[in-house]
Amino acid sequence: MRKYREIAKTYLKTQLAWRADVIFNMVFTVGRILFAFLLWRVIFAQKETVAGFTFHGMLSYYIISSFFTQLEMSHGISEEIAAEIRNGIFSKYIVIPVNVEGYFAAMELGVVLFYLFFDFAAAFIWIFLFGIEFAIIEDGLIIACALVMVLLGLFFMVQLNFFLGILTFKYEEISTFLMIKNNLAALVTGSIVPLALFPDTVVSFMRFLPFYYVTYLPSMLLTGRCADEAARGLAVLACWCVILQAAIGIAWRRYAKNYDGVGI
Amino acid sequence: MNTQNIIDTQNLTKIYRRFQKKEGLRGSLQGLIKREYEEKTAVNSVSLSVKAGEFVGLIGPNGAGKTTLIKMLTGIIAPTSGSIEVLGYYPNDMKNAFKKKYAVVMGQKSQLFMELTMNDTLRLFKEIYEIPEAEYQASREYFAQLFGVEALMNVQVRTLSLGERMKMELIVALLHGPQVLFLDEPTIGLDAVASKQIRKFLKEINEERGTTILLTSHYMEDIRALCGRTVVVNHGSKIYDGGTEELFEKYQKNKKITATFDRPPYRREVEVPKEHIKDALHELMQYEPKDITVAEDEIGVVVERIYREEERQNA
Repeated sequence: MRKYREIAKTYLKTQLAWRADVIFNMVFTVGRILFAFLLWRVIFAQKETVAGFTFHGMLSYYIISSFFTQLEMSHGISEEIAAEIRNGIFSKYIVIPVNVEGYFAAMELGVVLFYLFFDFAAAFIWIFLFGIEFAIIEDGLIIACALVMVLLGLFFMVQLNFFLGILTFKYEEISTFLMIKNNLAALVTGSIVPLALFPDTVVSFMRFLPFYYVTYLPSMLLTGRCADEAARGLAVLACWCVILQAAIGIAWRRYAKNYDGVGI
Repeated sequence: MNTQNIIDTQNLTKIYRRFQKKEGLRGSLQGLIKREYEEKTAVNSVSLSVKAGEFVGLIGPNGAGKTTLIKMLTGIIAPTSGSIEVLGYYPNDMKNAFKKKYAVVMGQKSQLFMELTMNDTLRLFKEIYEIPEAEYQASREYFAQLFGVEALMNVQVRTLSLGERMKMELIVALLHGPQVLFLDEPTIGLDAVASKQIRKFLKEINEERGTTILLTSHYMEDIRALCGRTVVVNHGSKIYDGGTEELFEKYQKNKKITATFDRPPYRREVEVPKEHIKDALHELMQYEPKDITVAEDEIGVVVERIYREEERQNA
């Protein structure tokens, strides 16, 4: 375990190496907050509630949701693995005594820890600077469920991106897989079309997919909605993690042998 | 397999499969429907044994199969056929216990973190290889002193010169005390001074620590200065395996003399049989040259000569 903790620490240190990056990250995070605040204030100037949310309820949801969304940065894993396999640099993970999936998970943790600090700072600025009546649920069990769900969800996304990345061993080009994943995730989380516009059967089907539980449901749970879906959400997500871990094992055993390490 | 050998391969072969596309848009469209592949034999039935403590040079022209052989020995790629055993393991099983016993340095690929300092990078590798703290401190000090880089341990790696980076790569590789060190072109791109330093350190590590080293290099000086034994490969096959001095004695037949002058023709290059070098230099001195360098035959020339002799013998 110590080696993975050190990997996370190392990548956290690489994030801290550039002072300009740190400053710009803070500026952009606060800028995004300001933009969202102004936008929602204009919308709520004309009506009391939108989709059942009050102004403060909507901002609470937005703070939590954007906080979780910003922590989900695992898409870089699949792109990095694909590029490193194609360029023959992936060998550097193969020759050291680590579990490669664990290495990437720890690397992701290191990067997330860096952004976690700024996301927390951003959330506090939201709440205190703009005087938001932060509407978070008080039920400890639901809060615990939501936090576990977020952790499982982030781990699932690392697994998924690692899995898609190592498919490069077999298919050499994985951008189609990545496009399908990105569109599916956007559809299921309601980013493209609001979920309310889909027929019930379609929405029910989507709830068996993991993306719904990565950031959307935890955010809803913490703002006091969809509590009846919490247990099912944890179960569905845990099942997906197990399925994906098995798929990673199979893909690694079958396809890693195709690696040619070209260019070195 | 011979248990005394720490590296043992029998008829090791690696065949790559490559997609072949015909020229132009039409060829691209045809490639969508029907794909044609060609097979390229990168390593062809190579049998090789290396004993503990040996310093073996692996030479050959570009595309000869040297790096592919190293990649199979380190488990990076799987062989197509033949048997392979390194330190008692089948390398491509990628077992952590095996990975802790060897190290590989590829001249053009880095394990260093450019934004971090060497101390930060070494701390990471200490944990990855599960090296006890006292052992880590002792190794770190020993190598920093040996390579003369104590003053560079707390500066960002990206600010180091190429020669300094190679020293750091070697420290990372040697930190866990590997039994076998695979080096693929460690002096590539380095100037004469840095190359000489690297050679000195490698010699010391082989002699003092008993580390078995397998080295590929394009530079004859590397091989001659370090390797007691040399393996020559060409077109994927082993064409020579024996003493380095014997190799040079038998196949390095010419020396190239380059002389520069203060007056025309300013620069002259001549290639003479090595037994006539003394006479040639003596004659050249009569023209009062400004500078003279004497170089050995290049690797490609030596390999070509061995290859031709093999063909003659087989015929």
